[in-house]
Amino acid sequence: MMPVEPLTSAPLVQIARSLRRRHVSPVELMEAFTRRIEAAAGLGAYITLPDERARREAKRAERRLAQGEAGALLGVPIAVKDLFQTRALRTTAGSRILRDWVPTRDADAVTRLRAAGAIIFGKTNLHEFAYGVTTANPWWGVARNPHDPSRSPGGSSGGSAIAVVAGLCAGALGSDTGGSIRIPASLCGCVGLKPTVGAIPLGGTFPLGWSLDHAGPLTRTVDDAGVLLDVLSGGDAGHRSRRVRTRGLRVGVLRGPIVRNVQPAVSRQVDAAAAALRRRGLRVREVQIPEMEWTVATQLVTLRAEASAVHARWIRSRPRAYGPDVRTRLQLGALVSGADYVLAQRMRARIRVAMGRVFDAIDVVLLPTTPITAPVVGERRVGWRSGEEPVDGALVRLTAPFNLTGLPALSVPFGAAAGLPIGVQVVGPLHQEARVLAVGRLIEQDAPRLPSPKVGRE
Amino acid sequence: MPVTERERLAAAGRAAGLRLSDADAAALLPAWKRYLALVEQLRASVPPEEGNDAG
Repeated sequence: MMPVEPLTSAPLVQIARSLRRRHVSPVELMEAFTRRIEAAAGLGAYITLPDERARREAKRAERRLAQGEAGALLGVPIAVKDLFQTRALRTTAGSRILRDWVPTRDADAVTRLRAAGAIIFGKTNLHEFAYGVTTANPWWGVARNPHDPSRSPGGSSGGSAIAVVAGLCAGALGSDTGGSIRIPASLCGCVGLKPTVGAIPLGGTFPLGWSLDHAGPLTRTVDDAGVLLDVLSGGDAGHRSRRVRTRGLRVGVLRGPIVRNVQPAVSRQVDAAAAALRRRGLRVREVQIPEMEWTVATQLVTLRAEASAVHARWIRSRPRAYGPDVRTRLQLGALVSGADYVLAQRMRARIRVAMGRVFDAIDVVLLPTTPITAPVVGERRVGWRSGEEPVDGALVRLTAPFNLTGLPALSVPFGAAAGLPIGVQVVGPLHQEARVLAVGRLIEQDAPRLPSPKVGRE
Repeated sequence: MPVTERERLAAAGRAAGLRLSDADAAALLPAWKRYLALVEQLRASVPPEEGNDAG
C-alpha cells in the first residue's frame, strides 16, 4: 500500500492505475477525498455530499478489484454536476424548485460512468438551472474559487471545477451551453472539454437550451479528459489522440474584434502557448473569422428563447421560486418572438459556414477561453478602453461561439496572472476531438506551473 | 396605448402571460432594451426573408 493523501491531487489516470495495481483501496481513497471535502467546505463545491451509498460502491469496487476485474474507472470517484439525474440520489439542478427531487433513473452519462466502474462521488454546485456563469447560487451557496475565495470559480459547472482543482474527486462531469465547462475550467485552473455536439448523450440531463447543450469532463490533465471522453461517448478519440501526428499541423491564432478586449496577461499567455506549439513543429499563423462578431447576439436570442421554453410553465406560475438573475433571464426569454428566433438561426447558419470554411485552411483555432481571469464574487462589469462589458457577457464571449456551431473545444490551463489561472482554448472541426486533445496535450506540456490552490491544502 | 418603454414592457409581459412585479420590470427593462438593440443589429446584418418583398 502507498500513502493515499498525495493521490487526491494526482491525475485520474494515475489514480485508476494505483487502484488497478491495488496500491490503494477505493475505500481508503474515498476517505481521503472526504477529508479534503471537509477541509474545503467553505468553497461551496457540493450540493449533495458523497454519502453512505458512495461508501457501499467503494466497497463493491474493492471486491471487484480483488477478483481481478478491470474497468476504465473501477473504484474512481467522479463528482457529478447536479444537473444530471442520479437514481435514488437527490438532483436539484441547483434550484429551489427541485430541492427534493429524487430521480428514478440515471442520466445516460451517469449510466456510462457507472458501467466503467466509477463511484458517483456527490453532486456538485452549479448556477441555478445552469443558467449563468458565476455559480453564485442563491439556494445552495455561493461557490468560491480555490485560488482566491473572494473570487468566482465561474460556472455554471463551478462546483465541478472546484472539486477537481481542490482535490475533492478524481474528475468531474459538467455541462456546457455557452461555456459552462470551459469557463470554470479556465478560471479555476483545470482542463475542460466540450466535445462535438451530440458526442455525449444528454438523456436525463435537465435541459437549458436544447440546441446548445453539451456534456463533458473537467479534469486535472488532458489525458484524464481523454479517458473520461471515451467512457462518456463510447468512442476512442481520447485513446487515438496519443497517436495523432502533430508536427506540421496548422494552428490559427484568432485575431479580430472579438478578441480585442482581452486582459493583456491573458493575451500574452495565448501567444506564449502559440510560440510553444511553433517550437514543437506546428505551423502557426493568425486567423480572422469576421462572422464571430455576431455570435454574442445570436447566442443570446437563441438561449433566451430555448431556456424560456424549458421553463415556460414555472416562470409564469412560480416566478418567485427563481433567484433574481435567472428569473430576469427567463422572463426576457418569454418575450422573444418567433421571428427573432428565426433571425438568430439564420445568422447561426452563416456563422457555421464561416467557421467550416476556416477549417479548410487550418487544423485548429487557438484563442483565450475567457478574456479575463476570475472576477471578484458579485462583480458585475469589466472595464475596457472602449467601455464597460457585463462580466457574464465577457465570460461567454469566447466560448459561446462553439456551442452555436457544435465544434469541439478544450480549455487547458496555461500560466497565471496575480495568482489566478489562465485558460487557453483549442477548437477543432466537428468530430476531431483526437486532434484537439493532441494539441492540448502539447500546450499542457509547456504550460508554466500553476500556483497551488489556497484552500483545501493540508 | 402604452407610451413609455416601461409600459411597453409591461404590455409585452402581460401578452406573454408573465406576472411582472414592479421589481421584476425594473430588473427586466435594461435587459430588454439591450436585447432589442442586439436584435436590431442582427436584423440589419441578415438580408430580409424574400416573402417580405413579395406582392
